[in-house]
Amino acid sequence: MSLLDRDATSADALLTDLYLDALLAGAVLGSAADGDAPGAIDRDLDPAARRAADRLRRDLVRVHPSFRFEERLATRLAEAAVAMRLPAAAGAEGRIVPFRAAPFPLDDEGAFEDDDPRAPTRDLSRPLLIGGALTSAALSLAGAALVAWRRGRPSRSTPPMVRAARAARAANAARRLS
Amino acid sequence: MPRPVLGRSSAISASRTVAGEPRARVAHLDRDRALVEEARRDPLRFEALYRRYLAQVYSYAYHELGDHHDAEDATERTFLAALAALPRFEERARPADGDGASTFRVWLFQIARNTVANQRRGRRRHPVASLDAAATIADPLDVAGGAVTRDEAAAAWRAVGRLPADRRQALVLRFVDEMSTAEIAGVLGRSEGAVRVLVHRALRAVARDLESGRGDR
Repeated sequence: MSLLDRDATSADALLTDLYLDALLAGAVLGSAADGDAPGAIDRDLDPAARRAADRLRRDLVRVHPSFRFEERLATRLAEAAVAMRLPAAAGAEGRIVPFRAAPFPLDDEGAFEDDDPRAPTRDLSRPLLIGGALTSAALSLAGAALVAWRRGRPSRSTPPMVRAARAARAANAARRLS
Repeated sequence: MPRPVLGRSSAISASRTVAGEPRARVAHLDRDRALVEEARRDPLRFEALYRRYLAQVYSYAYHELGDHHDAEDATERTFLAALAALPRFEERARPADGDGASTFRVWLFQIARNTVANQRRGRRRHPVASLDAAATIADPLDVAGGAVTRDEAAAAWRAVGRLPADRRQALVLRFVDEMSTAEIAGVLGRSEGAVRVLVHRALRAVARDLESGRGDR
């Protein structure tokens, strides 16, 4: 395809585009239906392409799905949305906040004074993840407390094998001490 | 009823005053920005976007797949994928896209296009717009003209169905979803000039098809 042909195609395409803008805006629908073709665009556009555009504008219409499908999908999306909310409610929304940076190292080896020009200029701050981490830490502490309480208060329903093992361990310890 | 035109022409008209003087461009806002922000804060608010674009996405899928059940399946996958990916959505509307432009819509249709393409690939048969489709859109009140309308609509659907995929998609997005050239370019991942040529050639091919009477078969 030569440059001239390409330019001609681009010009025709632009013309078609302008016609479709007007057609879809409803500006030329009435006149097209009446067989009247006002305007420079209509005159310059290929009549066959114009007729095809008018026909597609009439026949290629938007279709709406059934009400049942619409509501079923709405319910499905709501369930998915609730599932997306749950991780946030469990503490996944933790924000990253910076530690307050220590001015400079405090130990004697390699320490810098505040006004020392050799002092590092880089940002010493470290990110701290809170929220999810705090929730996790709280759960861990609660778990440790429960285990400690259980160890201190062995229940009566301890299985015989466990009681025998404990007794053997206590006997061994007593023998070692004696 | 006049249809809204999104894109270049509305951008031109919006950027001029009554006196014809160019108006200073203001910061452009995505038409759906408020709804998208709400849905990001609370995923349950995604419903508003869903209701707004359901018919458009469904129509696109229906014209591409030619079957109600397949279209429902593709629509469901599209919206579920969009909801899951919403936190990653980036608004990229430009002033040139026009006042009514929505990059969310372009983004949503990119998902729909991929979903439909996967579905077509999965069933491995060439889609031809079904006659049921034409029957659905015929005016049920116009009993006398109904048969003629159905035949003509079916012929138009067949002519569009015979087009190569990119031309067919461009026509469906232009006529059914009433997208601007800029929006179609965003969905198809092409330049606006390329989309104009695509639509122009598609229209001429359909015209040839219909004029030769091939669309009737």
